[in-house]
Amino acid sequence: MSVLSQLKEPMYGYSLVKKLQDSGIPIEANTLYPLMRRLESQGLLISEWDTGESKPRKYYRITENGIDVYEKIKKHWFDFSDSINNLLGG
Amino acid sequence: MKDSLIERYLYAVTKRLPAKIQNDVSNEIEALIDDMLSERCGDVTPNEKDIKIVLTELGSPRELAEKYDTSDKKCLIGAPYYITYKYVLKIVLICVGIGMIISSVISAFVDGFESFDSAGIMLQSVNFWINMITDMFITLSSGLIFGFAFVTLLFAFFYHKDIKIDSEKLDDLPSVPKNKISKADCIVGIAVSVAFAVVFLVAPQIFCVILHGEVFIPIFNVPQIQAQWYFIVIFALLGIVRETIKLIERQYSKRVMITTVVTDICSAVVAALWLFSDKIINMNLALEVTDIFDENFLIAIFSNFNYFFLFCILLALTIDVIETVVKTFKNNN
Repeated sequence: MSVLSQLKEPMYGYSLVKKLQDSGIPIEANTLYPLMRRLESQGLLISEWDTGESKPRKYYRITENGIDVYEKIKKHWFDFSDSINNLLGG
Repeated sequence: MKDSLIERYLYAVTKRLPAKIQNDVSNEIEALIDDMLSERCGDVTPNEKDIKIVLTELGSPRELAEKYDTSDKKCLIGAPYYITYKYVLKIVLICVGIGMIISSVISAFVDGFESFDSAGIMLQSVNFWINMITDMFITLSSGLIFGFAFVTLLFAFFYHKDIKIDSEKLDDLPSVPKNKISKADCIVGIAVSVAFAVVFLVAPQIFCVILHGEVFIPIFNVPQIQAQWYFIVIFALLGIVRETIKLIERQYSKRVMITTVVTDICSAVVAALWLFSDKIINMNLALEVTDIFDENFLIAIFSNFNYFFLFCILLALTIDVIETVVKTFKNNN
């Protein structure tokens, strides 16, 4: 869900690692890269190599199907966290 | 040095991955390593220590390759098959072990009677016991390895081809058995199948007629029996499959009924193909049978022993089919 939320605009893997880490979500590159490939194989992300810059990089962005799934799990997350907050008296 | 270490790392990660993604993953990780080195060293050229630190941070090639492996079946036999696999494997190994020990002892005594002048000398001979134990060890080891391989391959096939051995629907849950199939019966059944196969393959001369109290005349034509080993192996395997399904189900279900009927019919066909030939009987027995027996009934049986043997097998198979069908209908009503 964190990954899907950040990929409305195309990003390459390492920039996403940094962005998530800066947002307080520590994730290792060796976990994120295979995860993005798996999300791509499930049709939630799409990738494209950009060879125009000095370093060739693979950019990922969310698909239409990915947006649908993201909206559903986001709603589920909010509902679930509300329930937990109520339970904990927050 | 920089290139060679990174290249070796990339090769180590991608060599186990499917060929179609190897290049893409390699380029992707190479770009990642480049980014990590740029962040660490800035404009300074990274030295070997920097490269090692970055590669260590990425993890061992094996761990990284495992994360890239998207296949959902990463083991030979996984859940929910493993628990049944362990159960069947344990019983098959026990049965094969018992069958092999019995058949080794029988074949050792049969060979011993041929080599020694009397049973007394044979039993006192150290060589006889050493040979028997050595043969038993070899036969037992090869039989257990074969049994292990057979069951493992069977369950690996079930697991990787998603062949359901238990229904997951609540309505299909089996009824509590009224006639529970005894585990001991199945174990004996498998052990008998194994012993049958080994005895017929190793020492078919055990089936013999004793003439004048000292000369043994084998009933079967030993070279012919051994040349047609495949009939015996198929016949025994059908028996093992039949008893294994009973062991898994432990009650007279439709699956047990269908397997029993099909394997019994196949066994009958195999037995008929095997025994419908006079070549299988020892010709010397046919010639001497009139000297050995006085009664016409026994002469008739031993002159056509293959047909008599086939009749016994077909009778046993028919009784097995009828018993299974009746018990299945009783159990399900």
